[in-house]
Amino acid sequence: MRGYLAFVRGAIMVGVVYRLGFLFTILGNIIYMIIAYFLWRSIYAGREILNGLTFDQALLYIALGSTIFILLKTYTDWGMAQEIRDGTISVYLTKPIDYQLYNLFTTIGFASTSILTVSLPTVIMLIFVFRIHFAIGAGYLFFPVSLLLAFIINFNMDYAVGLSAFYTESIWGISTTKEIIVSVLSGALLPLQFFPAAIQQILMVLPFQAMFFTPLMMVTKPDQEVGVFLQMLAVQAAWAAVTYIASRLLYSQAIKVLRVAGG
Amino acid sequence: MLTLGDYIRLYFRIEAQYIKGQMQYRADFLISSIGMFFSSLATLSVFVVLFNTIPSLAGWSLMEMVFIYAFYMIAISPMQILFDAIWWIRYKVQSGEFVKYYFRPMNMMFYYMSERFDIKGLTQLAAGIILLVYSSFRLGLAWSFGKVLILLIAVFSASLVLIAIAVMAGTSAFWLINSYPVLALAWKVREFAPYPMSIFDGVFRFAFTFILPIGFIAFYPAQFFLRPEEVSPLFFLTPFIGIGLFALTYKVWTLGVNSYTGTGS
Repeated sequence: MRGYLAFVRGAIMVGVVYRLGFLFTILGNIIYMIIAYFLWRSIYAGREILNGLTFDQALLYIALGSTIFILLKTYTDWGMAQEIRDGTISVYLTKPIDYQLYNLFTTIGFASTSILTVSLPTVIMLIFVFRIHFAIGAGYLFFPVSLLLAFIINFNMDYAVGLSAFYTESIWGISTTKEIIVSVLSGALLPLQFFPAAIQQILMVLPFQAMFFTPLMMVTKPDQEVGVFLQMLAVQAAWAAVTYIASRLLYSQAIKVLRVAGG
Repeated sequence: MLTLGDYIRLYFRIEAQYIKGQMQYRADFLISSIGMFFSSLATLSVFVVLFNTIPSLAGWSLMEMVFIYAFYMIAISPMQILFDAIWWIRYKVQSGEFVKYYFRPMNMMFYYMSERFDIKGLTQLAAGIILLVYSSFRLGLAWSFGKVLILLIAVFSASLVLIAIAVMAGTSAFWLINSYPVLALAWKVREFAPYPMSIFDGVFRFAFTFILPIGFIAFYPAQFFLRPEEVSPLFFLTPFIGIGLFALTYKVWTLGVNSYTGTGS
């Protein structure tokens, strides 16, 4: 375990080198929030409540959703594809390191730099510039755990997509398709309450809602009963386990086709 | 000195070779095309779901939004198909591989951009054309030869606006080395081009019209075909903004190319 923490540290150090990159990511997120603010203002058009959400709740959902999007977008699949294609993966296979755990800890390192440089400034902006009204409730206490579980589910999916590099030349198509499916069906682009009731029911039994909708609901509606939050966490934990096992099985299949040229 | 005709002939020959090379990876092409198709569908599905709840957005109906979105898809296709190489410039600048572009007797931007031809972008273009035809039928828009001509000019100008913004963002690699965050920023903002500019207030409407002119990628030009009676004078500015921005980008590109010193290896 101590060894894997070194990967976290390494990733943080790599992340810090690209300070300018963070600056543009923050700028991008600010522009995104401004656009989202105006867009949702005209969607509400003076209406008090839409689909059970107030304007403040919807804006909080969308703005926080975009920072979670940045947090979860760690390019694990792209990094893996690169390592698989150029054969660097063999370095990890010949050492007593688990390739999935190595990737998970590196990803955590990258994400922790972006929590500090992107998520934190965004939340500060939400409070002081957009003056969002936050309700008081137990939801905030469960949010960090929920975010971590969402992170793990997302990582497992990225990892599975990265494995496809064993079979194809470029993972652009698979990665993009996954990203679009996730962002539409998880509620990252639009709160799930806006979907028609029948579709909502289907979306709630899919793993995607556990990545965005669940953690976002804990913050937009924090004043629900504790039992509701515990149930949400249980569903997330179950999806984390299922996606983990599935990605392990995929790995044991994919690794069989690996041929690395000597050199 | 090569003439325009030479360049066109050259372009077709380069791309024919490139496509032949790419056809080795047929599965990859198929998956990428599906990915492209899904990514075009994402914003559209947001519209459809949203209009389930609200009757109109800033006075625009769902079908009108679909038309603007279709225009947007067509207008962003030339960038996707012809200028895709801009995404790789940071690697070439960083590794020093970029020096090779100095050694051919032809325009460097042409040489650099001709190295990639994004076939999957054709899916987007086709989907855009189908949606444009569909939505204009549903809206009962009257088309004439003149209007189609204006449409072509408008699409051409709008696509120049996006090409200019993206190439300029990518060109920052000559100064920043890693231009990805800049390009990603431009790419993210671009996604909002199909929304009505009328949702923005004073300062921000000005900014998205003249400073980061995403309004000219779809909304201002598409407006003319939807509601010709209330078209804003900005529509007529589209060609000038497109050509002007592209000229500016070309200037920045030339500056970048001239300041690049390679990596010494």
